[in-house]
Amino acid sequence: MPSEDFESGSLVELINVSSFMDSGAAIFDSANLRLRAGERVLITAPVASGKSLFLKLLSGLSSPEKGVVFLFGQDIKELDADGLNQMRSRMGFVFQDNILISNLKVVENVALPILYHSTIAHEEAMKRAFELLEETGFSGDAWSLPGPLPLYAKKEVALARALALEPEILVCENIWDFLKGDEKTHISALLNGYHARNSGALMIFTANNENDAEYSRPDRVIRIESGGFIEQPH
Amino acid sequence: MTGIIRYLGRSALSWVEVTRAVLGVVSLSLNTFVLKFAKGSSATRSVLFKQIYFTGFEALPIISWIALILGLIIVTQIVNILPKLGAEGLIGEIFVWVVIREIGPVFASVIVIARSGTAIASELGAMKISRELTALEVMGIDTMHYLIAPRVIGTAISVFVLTFYFEIVAILGGYLLAGFGQNIAFSVYINSILEAMSFLEVAVSLLKSLLFGLIIGAVCSYYGLTVERSITQIPQKTTKAVIGSLRLVFVVDAVITFIFFI
Repeated sequence: MPSEDFESGSLVELINVSSFMDSGAAIFDSANLRLRAGERVLITAPVASGKSLFLKLLSGLSSPEKGVVFLFGQDIKELDADGLNQMRSRMGFVFQDNILISNLKVVENVALPILYHSTIAHEEAMKRAFELLEETGFSGDAWSLPGPLPLYAKKEVALARALALEPEILVCENIWDFLKGDEKTHISALLNGYHARNSGALMIFTANNENDAEYSRPDRVIRIESGGFIEQPH
Repeated sequence: MTGIIRYLGRSALSWVEVTRAVLGVVSLSLNTFVLKFAKGSSATRSVLFKQIYFTGFEALPIISWIALILGLIIVTQIVNILPKLGAEGLIGEIFVWVVIREIGPVFASVIVIARSGTAIASELGAMKISRELTALEVMGIDTMHYLIAPRVIGTAISVFVLTFYFEIVAILGGYLLAGFGQNIAFSVYINSILEAMSFLEVAVSLLKSLLFGLIIGAVCSYYGLTVERSITQIPQKTTKAVIGSLRLVFVVDAVITFIFFI
């Protein structure tokens, strides 16, 4: 049963969420957060201060000790494995370290979510994957394994894979780290283009600080601090 | 003395634990594969075909060599021993007892453990360390359905086919000696084997091969998935996967032999 907030456009909602480290120290202490469709949100926190945990809570990889996480209006805890996978298929993730599947060729990496989650023919999925790679500007060999690719090329492939199913929530984990200025500009333009085409998509950027905020172009900046989410003036 | 008892107790408990986990992997793999047959079929089919290609097709040269040489060795031994026992007519029976009942499925399994079992355990271990399993999960891809089930089922199909192939090549290898060394006509040689072979012999041999394949796929996947954070765990878990597969294959072999042939 979707929550009322979902009806009002809230795609992600954390209510009174508490999570603790093994030492007992709270990372989140009755934290609340609501992210709506169409927003671009930058979430900042220093290293090891809760960004990864927030993404784990968001994707259902972790459950909070207390509180509730709603995703697309559904309490994650109430979803079975298939239900959770179905929710995840509506999200796209660009990981900080890209995490491409090492035994799949570049184009197969991009086609994988399409092949797994949709019923379109194999040839169609591969064609779409090539188009996505072209859109992201990938200029390497699409039939090579991703391992030896340079970091920026991996980022392009990871972005193409994340956009493959036109996600309603796009999560970019520290996406600007280790990229050069022109590379950041290019990726930023791609993300802006995606948001322009999918104005209802929620884009979540995480970063250690606000140094690269200009590339994320956030509507909201939120800092993880003192166990909660603190809205920053922007 | 108490130290020995404690060691044996610990070993037995870990055995029970691993066996339960392996049975869980087998049943989950079969379940997932059947229940989600249509879901993501193009992606999972590709993993299944790759597994069959690497485990089955690429093993054909080595299987051929070993089967040919083993067939030749076994017939050499039979042809030398039987006349001393006054039982020359038993060549077919003994060949079937040794090759079809036992050596075929066991040797095919040992080769698959050495070639593909190690590959499955180390590949999954490496994928886990590099967080590729997490990436799949976050993409909403059921790792049991996409990664494990095709490996377990692909290995079972491969061992099944390789066993059948091993037995045919071993029969031909045996004929190389029987025909050229001992001047036995091919028809006589084949007839003696066919007469000794019953449906039960072949069915049990292939049943063993299917079970061994499931065991190898499941044990090696299980150990691959138990790699946690350190890259040094990959060779350690791979070794455990090999030893665990061998142990279970021989135990199941003994159980099936007792059930059907005693």
